[in-house]
Amino acid sequence: MVGLVLISHSGTLVEGLRDMVVQVAGDDVAVGIAGGTEDGRLGTSAPLIAAALRSTLAASDGGALVLLDLGSAALSLELALEDLEPPDRERIHVTEAPLVEGAILAAVQASVGASLAEVAASAEGAASMAKLPRS
Amino acid sequence: MPELHLVVKDPSGLHARPAARFVQAATRFESRIVIRQGDREADAKSLIALLGLTIRPSSEIVLAADGPDSEAAITALVAELAPYLGTPTSS
Repeated sequence: MVGLVLISHSGTLVEGLRDMVVQVAGDDVAVGIAGGTEDGRLGTSAPLIAAALRSTLAASDGGALVLLDLGSAALSLELALEDLEPPDRERIHVTEAPLVEGAILAAVQASVGASLAEVAASAEGAASMAKLPRS
Repeated sequence: MPELHLVVKDPSGLHARPAARFVQAATRFESRIVIRQGDREADAKSLIALLGLTIRPSSEIVLAADGPDSEAAITALVAELAPYLGTPTSS
């Protein structure tokens, strides 16, 4: 099954999001989180991200989809990816998808046994998803 | 093509958690499964499509399946989602 790694500048944000994801999609999908810095401030940390990537990959035979809150997290993510072994890196897909909606959609898709490409496509659909009722 | 009319009884409508259950259950079947509300239709195997319908409480929806296991799919989906969707009003 494909796992998810949720990266945010805030630890509480990704903790809450992980709770939502597990509630909606069930707990079969591994959800790793990396939020804030090592000393608990707002920001991102390459070592925390690398740890979340490793633990999620270890629990997910289908690879892992990575979602970010803001572009500046991509710099720490790049460092974390460089820290991984190449075979692990190949099992990771990083998406532009919006963090909250993308995580929910991706997790449900992953929970039905979809491939990493299918899970990524589902997350990316979140960018054009309607939220407000159309009368 | 079997189809069933249902009234959504969950006070929040078809919100994220039941919609996700729906997708998980529907994916187990080979048949094409759709939910229709008024003139709009969503693939029941797609969470984006289902949430996009923004189904309100007490509204009527139609659950329809087309394929080799369509009867089994309808039976299973109704059983699984009875707490949210209520009982069929007609078939």
